[in-house]
Amino acid sequence: MNQINQAFTIFLSLLVEAIPFLLLGVLFSGLLLLFVDEAKLVKMMPRNPFLGALAGSSIGFLFPVCECGNVPVARRLLMQGVPAPVAIGFLLAAPTINPIVIWATWTAFREQPEIVVLRVVLSLTIATIIGCVFSAQADLRPVLQPALARAMPRYIPPGKKAIDSGETASMLLQSGTYLLGQPGAPLRLDSTMLQPNLIAANSAKKPLADKLRLLADNTIQELRELGAVLVIGSAIAAIIQVAAPRDFILSLGQGPVTSILAMMVLAAVVSICSTVDSFFALSFASVFTSGSLLAFLVFGPMIDLKGIGLMLFLFKKKAIIYLFALAAQLTFLFTLLINLHFS
Amino acid sequence: MTSISANNKSPKKIPTFLLPWLDVLAIGTWGILMIKYWLTGKLYLLIHPDFFWLVIAGGFGLLALSVFKTVELLSQLKKKPSNLPAPNVQHLSVFPPGIGSSLLLITALLGLAIEPQVFSSQTALDRGITDFVSLTRSQPQSFRSNTRPEDRSIIDWVRTLNVYPEPDAYTGQKVKVQGFVIHPPNYSEEYIIIARFILTCCAADAYPVGLPVKLAQNRSAYPSDTWLEIEGEMITTNLGNKRQLTIEAQTLTNIPKPKNPYDY
Repeated sequence: MNQINQAFTIFLSLLVEAIPFLLLGVLFSGLLLLFVDEAKLVKMMPRNPFLGALAGSSIGFLFPVCECGNVPVARRLLMQGVPAPVAIGFLLAAPTINPIVIWATWTAFREQPEIVVLRVVLSLTIATIIGCVFSAQADLRPVLQPALARAMPRYIPPGKKAIDSGETASMLLQSGTYLLGQPGAPLRLDSTMLQPNLIAANSAKKPLADKLRLLADNTIQELRELGAVLVIGSAIAAIIQVAAPRDFILSLGQGPVTSILAMMVLAAVVSICSTVDSFFALSFASVFTSGSLLAFLVFGPMIDLKGIGLMLFLFKKKAIIYLFALAAQLTFLFTLLINLHFS
Repeated sequence: MTSISANNKSPKKIPTFLLPWLDVLAIGTWGILMIKYWLTGKLYLLIHPDFFWLVIAGGFGLLALSVFKTVELLSQLKKKPSNLPAPNVQHLSVFPPGIGSSLLLITALLGLAIEPQVFSSQTALDRGITDFVSLTRSQPQSFRSNTRPEDRSIIDWVRTLNVYPEPDAYTGQKVKVQGFVIHPPNYSEEYIIIARFILTCCAADAYPVGLPVKLAQNRSAYPSDTWLEIEGEMITTNLGNKRQLTIEAQTLTNIPKPKNPYDY
C-alpha cells in the first residue's frame, strides 16, 4: 500500500511539474503556427546538412520549452517541410539549448561552471552529429508516422525549385478534393494537409478573435494528445522508480564507466523535464562523477521514457531506435572522455 | 475530415458533439486540481516551492482555456446548425476520439479523490539509508560557520558535515532539530535516525537525509514516522562500523507533522 501511495505521489508530482511546461510548449507551438510565417523560417534554414543541424539545434533559443514542449514544435516544423537535419537537431538540442534551461543549470551548478558550458557544448555537438547522420535520409517520410508523413509537403530533391510546373501537373493526376486558390496552385484538401495550409494561408488576414479561437482549439487538441502520452509516460516512470530501488541504481555509480551508464539509465527512467533536471542532478553531485552528471544532463533531454512516448507522434519505432542508439553511444563516448581525461 | 463528418449525419460510436465537452471537462478538471493543490497546501508534498508559481499560472491557464472554450461551445449551441462557423481543423491523433481526454480526466479525478502522501520512513529505507550523510549536494549553497549550532536544521548539519566531516569537531555542540523517526534495522535498540526528505525539484527526486540519535531508553517509545523535535548535544559514536556524528537526546517532544514536511 505504501508503495502504491508512493508511486501515485511521484506520478502526480511529475504531472503537476510537467503540465505547466507542456501548456507553455503547446502555446508556443500554436503561436508559431498562427503568428509566425513558418514557411519563411523554414526557407531561412540552410540546406547544408551540417549548418542545418547546427541551425536547428540553435533555434531552441527562440522557444524556451523543455522536451515535452518541443515535440509539437518539431512536428509543426516537419509539416512545413523543414530539412531533416534541422528537424533532428531541433528535436534533440532544443530542450537543452534554450535560455531557461541554461539559466537553471547555471543556478544549480554555479560552483562548477564547466558543467554548464559542457552541457551546452555536448548537446550541440551530439545533436549536430546525429542531424548530419539523418541527412543521409533526405526524405524523412519513410521513417515518420504515416499521418505526419502525409501532412508533409512533397519531397523536392535538392537543386529543384520548390514550385514549378511539373509539381502542379503531378498534383492534377491525384484524386482528392482541391481548393482553387491562386491560379496554378490548387490547394489539396487532404485531411491532414488541411490544417497547416488552411491556417498558414489565411492567418495573415484573419482577425485577432479568430486567431485566438484557433489558438485555443489547437492548444486543447495538443494538450489532449500530448497530455495523455505524458500521463502514460509519468505512470511508467513512477512505477519503475518504485519497483527498482534507487539504491540499486546508485550502487552502480562509482566507476567512470558504470556511473555514466547508471546516470543514463536514471535519466531515461526518471523522465524529468530538462528545465528542472539540473537540480535533480545536483542531488547526485557528491556521489557521481562529473562525466556521469553530464551524461544525465545531455542524454535525459534527448531520450527518456516520457520523451519516447511523445516521439512516437513523429517517428516510427525504427527511427526512434536509431536516435536512441546514436544519442546513447555519443553521450557515452564524450562523457567517458571527460571522466578519463579531465577529472 | 471534420467538415464531412459534420455534414454527414450517420451515427457514430461516440456522439461527436460530446467530444469537445470531454476536452473542456478534462482540461478544466486539471486546472481545478492544480489550483486545489495550491490552495490546500498539498503542492508542498509534490514539488519544490520555487516552481509553485508555474503550477499556479498553469492551473489558471488551463481553467481560462476551458472557460473560453465553454463560452464558445455554448454560443455555437444557440446558433442554428447552418450558421456553424468553419469546422475545427483536423488533428493528428494517436488515440481514438475521446481516449486522450478520458485519460486526462480520469487522472485528474483520481488526483482530486486521492490525497498525495508524504513519503514514509519505509520509503527512506528503500531509497538507501546506508549513506545519509554523503548523499547531499557537493557544493553547499552557503556555509556559515558562525551559525549557532542549535539553529541548524538537519540538512544544515549534513551540509556542514559535508564540508568538514570529522565528527569530533562538533562534540558538545547544542542541537535542536525537527524530523521524522526511522528505525534502521542495523542499529541497536537505543538508536533511531531523525530524518527529513530533501526536495530539489519534485517528489520524484526526494531523497532522505538524517542524523543518528542516541536515546536513553528503548526506541519502541518512538515509533517510525513519528515527528519529533529533539534537543541534545553532539557526540561521536560507532555505528555500523563507522564513526558517526550522533545526537545524544536530552528532550524529545512529539510535534504535529508540518504542513511542509520536506526541506530544500
